[in-house]
Amino acid sequence: MIFTLSSPQKNSKQFIARQGQISFFSYTSVENIEANNNQVLSIFDTETNEIAVNMLMRAFVFKKDLMYEHFNESYIESDLYPKATFEGKILDFEKNNNQLQTKIIRGKLTIHGISKQIDIKTNIEKSKDSYSMTGEFIVAVSDFQIKIPPILASNIAKTISVKFRFQFQPYEE
Amino acid sequence: MKLKINKLTVFLLLLFLFVGFVVKFTIFKNSEKSIANQTAIATLNSDELVNSFTLDEKKSNALYEGKIIEVTGKIKEISFINQRITVILTSNNKTFGVICDMNPNQKEKIKKLSINQKITVKGICKGFLKDVILLDCFIDFSANE
Repeated sequence: MIFTLSSPQKNSKQFIARQGQISFFSYTSVENIEANNNQVLSIFDTETNEIAVNMLMRAFVFKKDLMYEHFNESYIESDLYPKATFEGKILDFEKNNNQLQTKIIRGKLTIHGISKQIDIKTNIEKSKDSYSMTGEFIVAVSDFQIKIPPILASNIAKTISVKFRFQFQPYEE
Repeated sequence: MKLKINKLTVFLLLLFLFVGFVVKFTIFKNSEKSIANQTAIATLNSDELVNSFTLDEKKSNALYEGKIIEVTGKIKEISFINQRITVILTSNNKTFGVICDMNPNQKEKIKKLSINQKITVKGICKGFLKDVILLDCFIDFSANE
């Protein structure tokens, strides 16, 4: 996350998305849980192909207050781990390709203070001087040491589906 | 006998309905919907808010996170990305600002806003990334200049 908060280097070409969207879904026979965060920050460097993502866990909006409380107080422990981050690199990114390109982002996803290597498939589209990135991936709740009490185990899926959408603009200080 | 059963059935049905309503409106109500009428715990301008977070994020989170605050600042940008209405306020630090995710019922008020206009926004503070993030925001027009 270091390069996220530092000023852009003169030679690097950085792009920023301040209002990235991340949604996650948990489907079980008991209930479906969905949450959206529309203020996800991402910075993407087209010279190094590095990408960093940073989000506030408390900025996820749920349909029910109780879901929000359980998520922040019991599972994610947002007081201790208020942010989730991702730092990675887009493999074989073609910055001048104006067509839709599907690439792998390889990097480290940190949720609940636990980091895990992950490959995420993304669709990248360039338009004029901006890029959009969308995709979907799966995370296992157990990978991030998130403890679900047995009484609620049937309400929460073992694997959570995550969707993302970022619109990057040139990053000017 | 038949009448008794019917009475019991009706009673049980009513009881279920009553319990259902109580559960629906107490446990599952969405409290964030009603912040328009709630009082802010702090009133400050966007410079003060951003400076507070850049100086000491931990302390600022303890002060403002999860609380309703009222922030006055100049509009840098109004956007409609992902079907959200977002107003970004500037601060004296060029890199940082305040992202205000507006309550959908503010749509008509948003139409009257223009870039650089000074406004006061009330919302729930969620913390700081590169900007301070406020959700479920309402605009207060009385502070206009």
